[in-house]
Amino acid sequence: MKKILIIEDDSFLLELEAGKLKNEGYEIITASSGEEGLLKINEPNIEIILLDLILPNFDGFEILKKLKETDELKHIPVIVFSNLSEEKDILKSKELGASNFMVKSNFTLDELVKQIKKVLE
Amino acid sequence: MEEIEKLRKENVQLKTINENKSDVISITAHQLRTSLSALKWILKMFIDEDVGKLTNEQSELINKAYSSNERMLSLVNDLLTLSHTEDASITYAFEKIDFLKLIEQSLFDFSGETSKKGVELIFLRPEGFLPPILGDKEMVRVIVQNLIENSIKYSNNGGKVFISLKQVDEKIQFSVRDTGIGINKEDKDKIFTKFFRASNAIQKDNIGSGLGLFTTKNIVERHGGKIWFENAEDGGATFFVLLPISSII
Repeated sequence: MKKILIIEDDSFLLELEAGKLKNEGYEIITASSGEEGLLKINEPNIEIILLDLILPNFDGFEILKKLKETDELKHIPVIVFSNLSEEKDILKSKELGASNFMVKSNFTLDELVKQIKKVLE
Repeated sequence: MEEIEKLRKENVQLKTINENKSDVISITAHQLRTSLSALKWILKMFIDEDVGKLTNEQSELINKAYSSNERMLSLVNDLLTLSHTEDASITYAFEKIDFLKLIEQSLFDFSGETSKKGVELIFLRPEGFLPPILGDKEMVRVIVQNLIENSIKYSNNGGKVFISLKQVDEKIQFSVRDTGIGINKEDKDKIFTKFFRASNAIQKDNIGSGLGLFTTKNIVERHGGKIWFENAEDGGATFFVLLPISSII
């Protein structure tokens, strides 16, 4: 079972995302703050990270930075899944190594699953 | 001297007010999108009957609610862009821009959209050197994004979108060609007007707000450029934008 880490501070969105991905057969671990996210990225065998950007404590960019700086973690693909859409945020995510940038409100959860499968191929 | 100092202070104040306004709009849009995302996902679960079978009447109502939510999302997106572009008090920060590089960076943003529709985005890179243009980077990016986004939106599944760049005298010509629905003759003169939506565009996608091309034209003209379109004989349309080459050395 492939393991996905979801870092998302909105509890309702987190519940919906996690529920959908569990139904699709993924193992889900979650973090609801930047601080918790920074701890959970060290869990073994994470295959992909779904990352929100506006988070309490540390934002999503800090997490991307940490992943990029850590040899054992920098191979993990990250899909930024945020409702920010300004160009500066997209470019910064890309520079920090994100595989994709998806504006949540532009996608359905089925489309998110499709994108995850594509990145995992 | 006193007068100059007074004007300088007022200018600083206005800039701060503008920045604050921009932040408020950005945060509001983010919050609105969060609630609308939740609604979108839940309504989609009903539509897909993940939570039980629907009667025909229920299905019709839920589909209407979904479309209405999509319209609201589209409006939030367009108002966000418009607030950045239509405000005449916002001064454009003109600088030398490597247009080729800017397009390459922008293509990354569409990876989700293209795979969603199975549309292929093809950048026909120019051979040889292209001089930089003179523009505001964020605003030129909006031009590129709006035109590519439209061509993906109005393409059929599995369609192709071609992007190209070339020098024409003292200007750089950016064009986006699609194999989509094209533009009807009777809509030709109205396509760049505020809130206008062509009938075939509504049929294809009833979500848009009619602000995208209006905003794009507004930005192009503030750059001293020109925008127009041509219909292709085999269907689809090509949008052209001319932007001035920078004379800054």
